Amino acid sequence: MPDRGATPRALRFAAPTIAAALALLAWEGAVRLFDIPPYLLPGPWLVLRTLVENFGSLLPSWWFTVKITFAALGLAVLGGAALALLFALSRTLELGLFPFAVVLQVTPVVAVAPLVLILVDNATATVLICAWIVAFFPILSNTAIGLRSADTNLRDLFRLYGASRWQTLRHLLVPSALPYFMAGLRVAGGLSLIGAVVAEFTAGAAGRETGLASRILEASFRTEIPKMFAALVLVSLTGVAIYALMNLLAHLVLRRWHESQR
Amino acid sequence: MTALALEHVDKRFPTGTLALQGVSLSVGSGEFVSLLGPSGCGKSTVLRLLAGLDQPSAGRVRHPERAAETGFVFQSPTLMPWARVADNVSLPLRLAKQPRAQIDAAVQSALERVGLAEFAQAFPRELSGGMQMRVAIARALVTRASLLLLDEPFAALDEIGRMRLNVELLRLWQQERFTAVFVTHSVMEAVFLSQRVVVMAPRPGRVAQEIRIDAPYPRDESWRASAAFAASCVQVSQALQRAVESAEEAAHA
Amino acid sequence: MASRLLHAFALAALLGCATALAADKVVFATNWKAQAAHGGFYQALADGTYERYGLTVEIRQGGPQVNNRPLLPAGKIDFLMTGNLLHSFDNVKNGVPVIVVASMFQKDPQALFAHPGQGYASFEDLKKAPIVYVAKDAQFSWWAWLKAEHGFRDEQLRPYNYNLGPFLANKASVQQGYAVEEPISIERQAKFKPMTFLLADHGYSTYSTTIEARVDTVRGKPELVRRFVEASILGWVNYLHGDRSKADALIRAANPEMDQATIDQSVALMKELGIVDSGDARTLGIGAMKPERIADFYSKMVKAGLYKPGEVDLSKVATTQFVNHGAGVAERAKLKD
Repeated sequence: MPDRGATPRALRFAAPTIAAALALLAWEGAVRLFDIPPYLLPGPWLVLRTLVENFGSLLPSWWFTVKITFAALGLAVLGGAALALLFALSRTLELGLFPFAVVLQVTPVVAVAPLVLILVDNATATVLICAWIVAFFPILSNTAIGLRSADTNLRDLFRLYGASRWQTLRHLLVPSALPYFMAGLRVAGGLSLIGAVVAEFTAGAAGRETGLASRILEASFRTEIPKMFAALVLVSLTGVAIYALMNLLAHLVLRRWHESQR
Repeated sequence: MTALALEHVDKRFPTGTLALQGVSLSVGSGEFVSLLGPSGCGKSTVLRLLAGLDQPSAGRVRHPERAAETGFVFQSPTLMPWARVADNVSLPLRLAKQPRAQIDAAVQSALERVGLAEFAQAFPRELSGGMQMRVAIARALVTRASLLLLDEPFAALDEIGRMRLNVELLRLWQQERFTAVFVTHSVMEAVFLSQRVVVMAPRPGRVAQEIRIDAPYPRDESWRASAAFAASCVQVSQALQRAVESAEEAAHA
Repeated sequence: MASRLLHAFALAALLGCATALAADKVVFATNWKAQAAHGGFYQALADGTYERYGLTVEIRQGGPQVNNRPLLPAGKIDFLMTGNLLHSFDNVKNGVPVIVVASMFQKDPQALFAHPGQGYASFEDLKKAPIVYVAKDAQFSWWAWLKAEHGFRDEQLRPYNYNLGPFLANKASVQQGYAVEEPISIERQAKFKPMTFLLADHGYSTYSTTIEARVDTVRGKPELVRRFVEASILGWVNYLHGDRSKADALIRAANPEMDQATIDQSVALMKELGIVDSGDARTLGIGAMKPERIADFYSKMVKAGLYKPGEVDLSKVATTQFVNHGAGVAERAKLKD
């Protein structure tokens, strides 16, 4: 039975944890050693205390950002996967529409957000749409490539056995595409969060229905730098959590058979 | 009775390469035929034409009446890595939408015939190369195929594994009575297995010579060690040599 | 004779070097791209006033995506132009060691604009507007005051990205701006004069376009600060009442999108609205500050919920040691004649 010696679990947890701990120590050390004032660079201990103190007010903003991120991700999965399937069925459609998808990818959300806001006149919808725009492309692109990567011999075999287009799609192309889709999902998760935050920077309006971006801005404008860092840390931790979640998902789906899950 | 045939077939690829020129070949029902030749002689192309995966540019390909019952074995096992062994083997039957009970019975039977019945629930990556190849053979036979096309199936295995699978294949052939067309570049393998060896020459691909191997079946290690075997190998090797040389001469002409 | 001439030469050269050595390099950052509302500073630079006060000044512009504020406590700049006192209150509240040393404007030009003929006859009518375009930094400062004191609601709020388009397209909307800038662009682009509602006329009594410096600069180099403040005050006097052509040339060079006609109209508006040279400035000189007014503004902001009472130590917000001495008053009188 082939066994290439999977990475021991202990190392998988220990390595990043130790690295993070060292980084935090270095940060705190630097702040104390160089006597850096908190309004320029607060140390991690101060940031943590500020986070705990303001947890009550940061939590609803965090939840709002999380909701938008996952809603946008869900829509990106639906849209991206569906369009990729369509492309797999019609080369003409793919050739015609793919350039539009590329345009979506390279358009800077910062520039687009205010225009979207004018169009839909709703700050929450704007943030959702912008997060969707950045998350959509990796899913579409990766899934489309995945659908094209089915083994040639298997494809011949399906043809030999007279499989219909639908059967080929369901039994061959989709399972072949799954690892690629999972890779795209891993990327799209983090991007969705970034899109949600960046869009809110430019198109969000203070007061109602606001996420972490508004809290970051608010703290920045009110010169409450430790609080700004606390909100930033929340964004980072959320990003890490999303990445870990996507990794777990990939593991659950692929663990029985794919090389990447050894 | 002729099971299938190529009649004056040309095959030109879209890139312009002439892979086959004027190839005529016929295979009798239940016959075991090898296609032997150096790389570039078009033997794999012939196999694909016989399978109906490609169409000839000129000439005709005659298929058996029940074209659906063709099994194909590639050089790599070509199993679906995300599916268990049983699901891999059952693929042709599932695509043909056969009833569940029938499928299960046929899969069980096919796996027993290749000696892998207890691995039905395993995933391909848990099996060795040789075992995966036997799964591929099981899949090719699960439809009770009357025609088995094999494209250098054992080339990636080690010598021992290869010899073992040669014997297995012959046993199955004798049991099931299917027609077999076996592509190889190994003279010894072609002589060991077949009733007839079709030697092909390259550039462009064509039939150079056909040599009958009259040894009786079942064939085993004693056949491999015999003088007749050695003589046939020499005969086939020389034919192959002549084919390659004449092709080179033609190329330099 | 020759030796005495030589002596004189040497002395002159030495003095010249000394003066050159004595010129202090100073970096002053503004909070927007160069415009007439920064005119006094560019004037002091253009007509040599800063030089006469022994200062080599570099004026660094701000802009829509530029935030110069952190540069002051970080030590990267020496003086900072600040738009209103709320930033200064926040600095003191968060322990940032900077302090206001002068206030060039006696009135904040911050205003709300509306289309004429939409039923916005008075300031109170504005809270009925369906949409109010307010920029990000204002959303977290005086918008709160508008909500608390004048009944505006978050439902009206839309982000203002320094683009007139949305306001011009939507006749019922209201947007923020500087009373000495936006009306000029609006009239030019859309050929109508917007209704202007100066926040200062409705209780927003902050000082504006103040000069902030680090606390240790004020303590360690008070002479430097005094020179910069006085030279700037003189610059404003000369800009408003004297020949500002060189200053305008500097402004247009720094901000190529600015044209002379806009500058002229802006200066006229500054005078008409009494932004710079009104009230206390007439007697105490431009830059004047009164601690009572700062305290009064603070209590207004406390009432609006922006601060808790006693949260900010007002003594640390500003120092009047460099202003209120009547600097520039005599010069203005001369120019007016």
